[in-house]
Amino acid sequence: MTQRIVTAADLDKLVAGWAKSGAVYAPVEVKDWTEFRRIVSLAETDLTRVNTKLSARGLLFPHCETMFRFEASRPDKAQEADEPETQVVLGVRSCDAAGIAVLDKFFSGQGETDTYYQRRRDRTTLVGLSCHAPADTCFCSAVGGSPTGTRGLDLLLTDLGGRYLAEPLTDKGAALVKDMPEASASDLAKKAELADRAEAAITERIDTRKLKGLLDTADGNPIWEELSLPCVNCGACTFVCPTCHCFDITDETRKGKGARIRVWDTCQSCTYSQHASGHNPRLAPSARFRNRTMDKFRYTVDQVGEVSCVGCGRCIRECPAGIDICETVERLMLALVK
Amino acid sequence: MSNPYQPIPATILETHDETPNIRTFKLKPEREIPFLAGQFVELTVPGYGEAPFTPSSSHFKRDTFDMTIMKVGRATSALFDLKPGDRVGARGPFGQRYPLEKFEGKDIYIVGGGVGLAPLRALFLALVHEIGKYQRIFLRYGARTPADIVYKHLLPEWQKIPKVDIDLSVDVSDEKWMKKVGVVTCLMDEIPCDEKSSIAVVCGPPIMMKFVNQKLLDAGFQGGDIYLSMETNMSCGVGQCRHCRLGPYLTCKDGPVLTWDQIKDLENPFV
Repeated sequence: MTQRIVTAADLDKLVAGWAKSGAVYAPVEVKDWTEFRRIVSLAETDLTRVNTKLSARGLLFPHCETMFRFEASRPDKAQEADEPETQVVLGVRSCDAAGIAVLDKFFSGQGETDTYYQRRRDRTTLVGLSCHAPADTCFCSAVGGSPTGTRGLDLLLTDLGGRYLAEPLTDKGAALVKDMPEASASDLAKKAELADRAEAAITERIDTRKLKGLLDTADGNPIWEELSLPCVNCGACTFVCPTCHCFDITDETRKGKGARIRVWDTCQSCTYSQHASGHNPRLAPSARFRNRTMDKFRYTVDQVGEVSCVGCGRCIRECPAGIDICETVERLMLALVK
Repeated sequence: MSNPYQPIPATILETHDETPNIRTFKLKPEREIPFLAGQFVELTVPGYGEAPFTPSSSHFKRDTFDMTIMKVGRATSALFDLKPGDRVGARGPFGQRYPLEKFEGKDIYIVGGGVGLAPLRALFLALVHEIGKYQRIFLRYGARTPADIVYKHLLPEWQKIPKVDIDLSVDVSDEKWMKKVGVVTCLMDEIPCDEKSSIAVVCGPPIMMKFVNQKLLDAGFQGGDIYLSMETNMSCGVGQCRHCRLGPYLTCKDGPVLTWDQIKDLENPFV
């Protein structure tokens, strides 16, 4: 597809146009971090920082979502929740977009489609933004990604200094910039140079290729106790992760009206696996720590054919106990190779 | 696009108290839920949420189905307040069925504990419906006390079915109890079928499953022929919410019934 050039002024106009026909979300500065918020003008955004506090997953799989409503007096008459708006998400980093591609596999790639995820996904256009200066916690290239990766995106923008190279990846993405001028050969060369520099800035810290085979026999290894010792099972890693998607379904009723809602859940919580009888197969904190690590690097390989870690580094950044998932994997591999 | 989370309205037709805290509900769904023995259904108690249960009636008659439920949590407590005529919701079926074609021509040795007999009843009735296809059916069932036995009124009828052999035990007896006293494994000292070519099916509390499974292995049953109901906290039913994770399995999709061979390498699968 034809690559185009979008100046900052043009992007401003485009954003204003998108905001008229639907919602636009982009990273916005909040205290000392950024998060995806609804905007109407480019001026509200902060596109300079690498990773938002939470990943973009919440725009497709909200923290709390109404599935359907019912009247308490007529519980059999369910009324589906309102259809979501169309939305453009601007400034999605490649790791987050890859995370959405992984979520696509979970929610709609294996038999039964998750209605609530899919209807948001169908109405969403993802506009990515290449990373020039990855953070010291970033390791996307170690898990198959790249700071300028296009997976999951509809359009990728690369900041060439006051103007953006726009690479359409889908028809939806192409339609967003169809009236913009074509990019020149020197624009493409500039982007390639920036991409190489960003790639080089990431020191590849783990090798996940041999991991799956090793993890097949990792279940009863005593290393889990040691690795999980600092973990307080707070679940921060699961909430900031672009691919974690555990949820709980519950009913809420108030004044004769009820709703079935689903809410993000975390496998680190002690009640997560608890049966109604009180029996709890993952009562031990180390069992919950193991569950998450194994899920990321082994179980999902069976399920969707790839590790469900995209190297965004958020869990490293947010962990109150200083646990580094790369270090966990490294120590695990050392213990398993022994 | 069909929505796997949307329950089908169902009416409670009748209820039967099995024990002081276990009740069987006969439900009539607005549309048939095409379950097969082993598969489960998410039951909605409106306003109180959902819980997974395996139907306890035969899959050869599905315009209505039974669920035998223990009052133990928030949703089940609310369910016990409902009366015939009240409405609930049901969605499913989810999970894998028993591979009955592999059971053909064989002895089937079923071991149940407590309310664990409920899902086994669906299997038992399916087997009995086509009894000619199978060798003999053994049912070994243990409950805490005689009062805690489910299907008390049905067990004598089942015992009369040709090729069916039933034995019961209770942990604590009363003066009228004439059968064995002890945990259910006390019924397993002599297993009257050819262990190497028979099928075993087990459902009960985790600790009971652990010991019954060991007894079956010691007796010579093959790991691939021992079917264990690995009921976990199944919430969504479609492999998305991930609560039911058991090692590499999501029991709501891969189970809830798994063979011992499938789970034997997990660290302590019955914990």
